[in-house]
Amino acid sequence: MPLCQWHYRDSSSANPLFSTEDAIEANRFMKGIEAAAGVSIGGIDLAKFISQQIEDLGAEVCYHKFLPHSKHFHPLKFFTSMTNDMAIQPNGTDTNFGINTIGIIRAPRGDGKEAIVLVTPYNSRRVDSNELLSLALGFSVFSLLSRAAWLSKDIVWLAADSQFGEYAAVSAWLNQYHNPVFLSHSMILDTKIYDGNAEKAEFFTFKRAGTMSAALIVKVGETRRYGDRDSVTMYAEASNGQMPNLDLLNVVHYLAVHRQGFRVNIAAFSSLLSSAWLRVIAEFFHNLGTVLRKINPDWKLDIAVPDYVEGTANLANSIYNQALGVPTGSHGAFRDYQVDAVSLEFSPTFNVRNENAKSLLLLRGGRLIEGVVRSVNNLLEKFHQSFFLYFLTAPSKFISVGVYMIPFALLLAPLPIVAAALADGNKSMEKLPENLIDNGKASVNADVLQNKGGSWKWLQAAKVLLVIQLWAVCVSLLPYYITQIPDFTPMQSAVIWAMLSIIILIALYVMFGSPYPAGVEWKLLKATMITSISIGLGLMSIINFATAQLGALIVIPMCLFSRPLKAGSGMHSLPRAVLLISNITLAVLGFPPAALLIMKGLSKGSWTVDVGDFWVWMEFLWQWSSATYLYLFLVHLPCWLLCIHVLLHPCRQELKLKQE
Amino acid sequence: MLIRATGRRLQMSRNTSLKRLGLTKAVNDSANVSAGDIASLLYLWNPWAIVTCVGSCTSPIENLMVVIMIYGACSRLAPLAAFGYVMATHLSLYPAILIVPVILLLGYGPDAPPTRVFILKEYDKQTSLKVQRFSWMTVLHFIFWLFIWSCYVLLLSSIILKKVGGLNEMFEKTYGFILTVKDLSPNIGVLWYFFAEVFDFFRGFFLIVFNMNIIFMVLPLAIRLKHRPCFLVFVYTAIVAMLKSYPSAGDSALYLGLLGLFASELAEMQFTFFLFFGYIGVSLLSPVMHNLWIWRGTGNANFYFATGLAYTCLQTVLVVESVGSMIKHDRKLRLLVTS
Repeated sequence: MPLCQWHYRDSSSANPLFSTEDAIEANRFMKGIEAAAGVSIGGIDLAKFISQQIEDLGAEVCYHKFLPHSKHFHPLKFFTSMTNDMAIQPNGTDTNFGINTIGIIRAPRGDGKEAIVLVTPYNSRRVDSNELLSLALGFSVFSLLSRAAWLSKDIVWLAADSQFGEYAAVSAWLNQYHNPVFLSHSMILDTKIYDGNAEKAEFFTFKRAGTMSAALIVKVGETRRYGDRDSVTMYAEASNGQMPNLDLLNVVHYLAVHRQGFRVNIAAFSSLLSSAWLRVIAEFFHNLGTVLRKINPDWKLDIAVPDYVEGTANLANSIYNQALGVPTGSHGAFRDYQVDAVSLEFSPTFNVRNENAKSLLLLRGGRLIEGVVRSVNNLLEKFHQSFFLYFLTAPSKFISVGVYMIPFALLLAPLPIVAAALADGNKSMEKLPENLIDNGKASVNADVLQNKGGSWKWLQAAKVLLVIQLWAVCVSLLPYYITQIPDFTPMQSAVIWAMLSIIILIALYVMFGSPYPAGVEWKLLKATMITSISIGLGLMSIINFATAQLGALIVIPMCLFSRPLKAGSGMHSLPRAVLLISNITLAVLGFPPAALLIMKGLSKGSWTVDVGDFWVWMEFLWQWSSATYLYLFLVHLPCWLLCIHVLLHPCRQELKLKQE
Repeated sequence: MLIRATGRRLQMSRNTSLKRLGLTKAVNDSANVSAGDIASLLYLWNPWAIVTCVGSCTSPIENLMVVIMIYGACSRLAPLAAFGYVMATHLSLYPAILIVPVILLLGYGPDAPPTRVFILKEYDKQTSLKVQRFSWMTVLHFIFWLFIWSCYVLLLSSIILKKVGGLNEMFEKTYGFILTVKDLSPNIGVLWYFFAEVFDFFRGFFLIVFNMNIIFMVLPLAIRLKHRPCFLVFVYTAIVAMLKSYPSAGDSALYLGLLGLFASELAEMQFTFFLFFGYIGVSLLSPVMHNLWIWRGTGNANFYFATGLAYTCLQTVLVVESVGSMIKHDRKLRLLVTS
C-alpha cells in the first residue's frame, strides 16, 4: 500500500486568517438562526435570515426554487443521465418545494471565470442543532472570505435545502447552473408569497459565477468518541465509481492532520474491523514479512497487524462503494459535471452544547476550510496531475489504477484464448469422423463442397446467446411495469418479477426453439459464453472498474470450470466428483441474488435471507442510475443462464461419436 | 430486394457453370443455400444498418445506388447500371473505382470459376465448350449511357447551383472536401488522428499517399479476381470502407450485406468466430471510449483511436480471409475437375 509521492501542497496556507473573532461571529449567527428556526413556518424564514446576513456582508444573494426528481424507474434514464436531466419545475401555487440560498462573492483580483463552491446542507422542515452549527461555520468562512484580499476566484456558498434529500437539492442547483431551463414569466410573479417586497424579486434571478474548479461540502455530524481529538470523515465516491482527483483529498488530509490537529477517517466495514480471521491472516503476513526482511532488509513487507486490519476494512469499503455505483454524498452531483468535490463531516469529541468545545470546533473547522479554499484559489489549472482512478486504504494511502488493474487483467487474459481453443477444437473434431465414414470419391466430392455448415457452425450457439440476451433485456425492463402497479410490498414485487421472468424465458424458448434439440455442441456454447463474458467485463471495467473486478471474481471461475454434468465419462471418479461439486457450487454462487446475499452479509454482518431485500436493493440501484444494475442483468445474468445450459447439456453428439 | 435478386442471378450462374463442369452432385447438395436470401436478411437485420437509419444518415441512399449498379450489371441492363454508377459517384466519390468490376460484369457476366478450369475440362473430355467471350457491345452501351446520365446530373446541378457558385464550387466542396480531409472530427476511421498530427509541410504528400492507397489496390485485385466481378465489388467496398476519409457505420453495413451473397463459396472461411465477436466487441466498446474521452474527461483520444485501429484490423482480417477462401474454393474446383 504505497504512500503517494507527488501531491499538491500549498505553503501559503501557513498562516490562517480565521481567528477567534470569526468564531464569535459564527456564534452570533448561530444565535440569530436559532431564533429564526424557533419561529419558522415551512423553512422560508431560515432562507430569509441567511439571505439577510449575506446581504449585510455586501455579497450577492439569490434563491433557487426546485422540486425533487421523481424517483421512478425509467428505462432510458441510464443513457440520458449524462445529458440534461429535466427536473420538474415548480408551478406557481405549489408550496411544497425547496429553496436553496446562494451567496456569491466576486473576487476583487479575479476575472470571474472560475469559482470555488462551499455547500452546507440543512433540512428546512426539521432543523437540528448540528445543521445550524454547520450553517454557522459556513457563514463565518464566507464572511472571512468576503474580506480576504488574496481571493482570485469567486466564492459560491450554497445553503442547500435537504428536505427532499441532500443530493436532490445540490443536483437540482447544478442542473440549473449548467443546463438552464428558461421559463415563462409566471415563475417570477409568485414572489408574492413573500412580503411582496420589491427588492426580493431580484433575488429570484439565477446568478452564476463561472466554471467551478472545486467544491467542498461541510456538515457537522454526531458527537463520536474516536479518541481525544475531533475527527473529520471524508466521503469521496461519486456515481459509477468515479472519484475526485487525489490531490484534493491530499490537501484536505494534510491540512486537517498536520495543521489543525484533526483526526481524519474514511468509512470502513465495521464487521471486518472486528473479525478474528482477518486478524489471523494479518499476523501471518506480519510474520512472513519479518522473515523476508531478515533475508533482505530492502523488502519492507512487514505491516503491523492493526494497520493491516484497518487497511483491509477501508479497502473493502472503498471497493464496495465504488462497485455499487451510488454516490456516498452530494459531492457525487458535482462529479457529473467534472468538478472535483469531497464531503467533510466534522464529528466533535465533546458535546457541542459545551461552549468551549463548540468554539474550538468552529475555530479549527473554519481554519481547515479556509486553508482548503486558499489552496484551491492559488491553482492555475483544475486538478489533473494526480490520479482519478484509485482505491483508498487509509486517508493518506491509496492503490492506483496501475496496481489494481493487474489482477483483473490476469483474470481476463485467459478468456479469449480459451474461447478460441474451444471453438477451433470443435472444428478439428468434426473433420475426423467424416474421413472415417466415407470411402468413395463421390461422397468426398460432395462433402468437400458442402461441409455441413463448415466453420460457421458456431452460429447456432450465437443464436442461443442472442435469445438469452433478449430475455435478459426483458427481465431488466420488467420492474418499470411492476412499479406501475401500486401498493405492492417488496416481497410481492420480487416474487412477481421472478415468475414473469421464468414465463418470458419459456415463451422465448417456444418461439425460437430450445438449444438442446438443435444439436448445439457444448464446447461451442461454452466458447460463446466465454467470449460474451469477456466483452461484457471489458466494457464494464471502463465504466466502473470496481464492479467489473468483483464480478470477474465471481463469474470467471464459474465460466471456466463449467462442463456438462454428463460429460467426462473417461475420467477417474475423484477428479470427476471434485469437478461436479465445484461446478454446482460455483453455479449457485453465480446466481445474482446469491451473490448479493453474500455481499450484504459481508458488509452488514447479517446473513438473513429475505426475498424482499433483493427488490429493495435493485430499486436502490436503479434510482441512482447505477451502471451496476445494467451489468447485473445484461452481463451477469445471461452468463449464469448459459452456464446452467452448459451444465445441463445432454451431450448427445459426444455419445453418438463414441458409439461409432 | 435488389440484393435478393442479385443473389438469385449469381446462384443461377453458379449452377450453370458447375453443371458445365460436370459437378452435378455438388449442385444438388448446395441448392438449399439460397445466397440471395441470406444476403438480404443480413443487410436488413444488421445492427449497423439499423443504427444508420435511426441516425437519419444518407448512407442507405448511397448503398441503394451501389446495389442498383450491381444489379443492373448482373442482369446486363446497361442503362440501369450506368444510372446507379453515376448517382453513387455523385453522392460520394469512392464508388468511382467500382467501374472496373462493373465493366467486367457487363462484359463477362456474373461470377464463374476461372476460365482455366473450363479449359481443363475441355481438354479432359474433348468436347467443345464455348469459353466466355468479352462482349464489347454491352460495355459500349454502358459507356454511352454513363455519358448521358453524367451530363444530365451535372446539368441539373449547375442549374440549381447557379446562384451559389456553380459547378466548380460544387466540386470543390464535395470532392475536394473528401480528398483534402479538412474536417478532423473523430470518426471510426484512422485518418483523423493521423492528420491531426501531421505537419503542414507534409500534408499534401500524405494526402496523396492515403488516397493512392485505395487506387493501388484496384489493379492487382482486378487481375486476380477478374472471373468473379461481383466478389470484386465486395472486396472494393470493404477496402473503401476501411480507407476512406470519413468512414461510418453505413459503409460497413453495405459490405457485410454483400458478404452474404457468397455464403456458399465462403463456407470454409477461417476466424469467423473471432471476426463476429470482434465486430460486436468493437461496436460496443467504441461509443464507451468516446464517452469516456469527451464527456467524462478521464480518457483521451488514444482510447478511442485504439478501438478504431481494432476495427480496421478486423476489417483487414475479413478481407484477407474472404479473398483467401474464395481462391481456395476455385482451387478446389480445379482439383475436382482434374481428378
